[in-house]
Amino acid sequence: MSNRRTFDVELDELKQDILRMASLVEQSIYKAMESLFTQDPLIAKEVITRDDIIDRLRYEIENNCIRLIATQQPMARDLRVIVTGIKILLNLERMGDHAVDIARAAMCVCGRMPSRPMDRIPEMARIVQQMVKDGLDAYVHGDVEKARAMCAMDDEVDDIYNLLFHDLISYMEDNPDTIPCVVYLLVVVRRLERLADRATNIGEDVVYLVTGEWEELN
Amino acid sequence: MANKITVRNLNLFYGDTQALREVDLDIEQQQISALIGPSGCGKSTFLRVLNRMNDLIEGVRVDGQVLLDDEDVHGPEVDVVHLRKRVGMVFQRPNPFPMSVYDNVAYGPRIHGLKNKRRLDEIVENSLRDAALWEEVHDRLFRSALGLSGGQQQRLCIARLLAVEPEVLLMDEPSSALDPISTLKIEELLQELKKNYTIVIVTHNMQQAARVSDVTAFFLNGEIVESGKTDTLFTRPKDKRTEDYITGRFG
Amino acid sequence: MDSRRVIDGLSTVLLWAAGFFIMGLLVFFLAYILGQGLPVLSLEFILSPSKEFEAGGGVGPQLFNTFYILFLSLLFSVPVGVGAGVYLAEYARPSRLTNLIRLSTECLATVPSIVIGLFGLIILVNIMGLGFTILGGAAALALLNLPVLVRVTEESLRAVPQTYREASLALGATRWQTVRRAVLPPALLGLVTGLTLVSGRAIGEAAVLIYTAGVSVSRHFPDLNPFVAGETLSVHLWYVRAEGLRPDADEIAAGTAALLILVVLAFNLLIGVPARIYQRRLLGKH
Repeated sequence: MSNRRTFDVELDELKQDILRMASLVEQSIYKAMESLFTQDPLIAKEVITRDDIIDRLRYEIENNCIRLIATQQPMARDLRVIVTGIKILLNLERMGDHAVDIARAAMCVCGRMPSRPMDRIPEMARIVQQMVKDGLDAYVHGDVEKARAMCAMDDEVDDIYNLLFHDLISYMEDNPDTIPCVVYLLVVVRRLERLADRATNIGEDVVYLVTGEWEELN
Repeated sequence: MANKITVRNLNLFYGDTQALREVDLDIEQQQISALIGPSGCGKSTFLRVLNRMNDLIEGVRVDGQVLLDDEDVHGPEVDVVHLRKRVGMVFQRPNPFPMSVYDNVAYGPRIHGLKNKRRLDEIVENSLRDAALWEEVHDRLFRSALGLSGGQQQRLCIARLLAVEPEVLLMDEPSSALDPISTLKIEELLQELKKNYTIVIVTHNMQQAARVSDVTAFFLNGEIVESGKTDTLFTRPKDKRTEDYITGRFG
Repeated sequence: MDSRRVIDGLSTVLLWAAGFFIMGLLVFFLAYILGQGLPVLSLEFILSPSKEFEAGGGVGPQLFNTFYILFLSLLFSVPVGVGAGVYLAEYARPSRLTNLIRLSTECLATVPSIVIGLFGLIILVNIMGLGFTILGGAAALALLNLPVLVRVTEESLRAVPQTYREASLALGATRWQTVRRAVLPPALLGLVTGLTLVSGRAIGEAAVLIYTAGVSVSRHFPDLNPFVAGETLSVHLWYVRAEGLRPDADEIAAGTAALLILVVLAFNLLIGVPARIYQRRLLGKH
């Protein structure tokens, strides 16, 4: 029934491109955490080099969005798809940067990993990764409920972050010799917390995409 | 803001075919209202109800209310000639009379009985200035209007309309026969004119509706599917049919 | 070469030849008539009264009567014809009555002029007892031209774009103001063309006038009395040739014919040229 088959195909391709970039970012986050847990600098290096691809992809897709706006004069939902696309691209690219920061930190803590404060970090990472995944699912399916539920998870992340932050500080106070190492763990949890915020941004974009209304979700 | 025109339960029939169904619309003072919709959806018919140009067509029947400042335009005391002076119209194709630029603009005041030469000169100049045409034609006022370009002719038609001091300007696809630059000139002009007039514009060009209007109404099969603030309607329409139409996915 | 091109070339030649044939015919007529008649034409011939049984004499009264009858007939037919045309084009809504009016007009237009002449003879000359008069001739002529005028008026008004009417009405003009100020001016050239057509026909008409205005002229010249008989140039031409009582009938006929042609030509130019200039001004061509 559509009179805009070409445009529809292009919008579809845009979505596919965003998902392709999203899966790269998801992998980066996963690998960054892996490099921390396994203390493998090779994996960390891989994350850092992959970031160039993500950055390049972002500009490519963003240019495509701008081209679509200029040539197709999108209205209503089409316009929202493209505008949220651009915003999601920005968030994804920043998430990639956070993964790089985590990978760098992982390289710095290499071999000097304190055991105790670590136990909550995997849990936090798991939740954050779930949020990212749910956020992108919500985008693909235009699922407002999923987006809202995902954003609610941010509270949990914030709680863990506060706990971990205090734990790490007191751990450093008790073990001053670990400070050069634990400082990097602080970076990691801080970045994880930021990743959750970015995921929340994506959730808000999804709500706008579907309803046309801006909703503050965290 | 106050309503200039209030339409309630408007139905219009051409013989047995119903062209407008239960149309309700508020047209606010000093705003630009755009009417959009596919061909044959009734938007031009609706426009022509507002100054009763449909009276010229055989077999048209109208019921419902069309209030211009609280007075029903179909009321028994209403003088159609006077109504059309208050609610003027600009047509799809520029239609200047085959006479001089001056005589075109002076046409309206003259038929309404004005003979004073100095006053006519004044009206002609002011109307041409208001229609952003004075600079281009002041040295050829007494030459035929048919020698002007299409865009100039359309602005002349607007000037000719302004000369009778209407309150409402109805525009039936005023730039559909013009090139893009002339179109933009008309659109700029509309923004100036809306300070003093209430404007209703029918357009096939959705970008134009989005650019120039404050309020948009979407017509489909003789009904208003959705109407509201233009920026809302074009970014997040409520009705699926509106969405399909403005994103170009209409049937 | 493919056959379409051959046909195309052939038809071009044929159409071109048809055009030239018409032009050639006209040139031949003009050359013949003017060649015979111009030598006869003199100021004296044009102005002096005719003689009945002797040579010499002119066509002054006939020339005068031609214009007088034309003027009177237009006086009757233009208001009625143009009025009816305006009514049909601008006011009448399609109905059985307007169709009937249109049909009547067309029927009237096909009535042969001799029938109208005899009709005039019976009604005006005999029943009303007017005898052969200039007035009767003018009335019969008006009858002959009325349908053409109605038709021409209606057609030229219909040729005016509907958008002019819409524009005028949308400015708050009444229907009459619209007709008078927006529709009639651009239709004027059409009307004038119709008028010259009708006038040319009136000037050349003989059959109608023989039976209504008669074949004699007033003793006085010029005589403005419309109740006397008034022979026109065309009738005179016919009469001179048919009766042949004058010794110089050939020369008089030739001169009259040439004069007739010149009169029609002058008449066309006189009305047509200003109308054309006016039209060009309207359309913005200089």
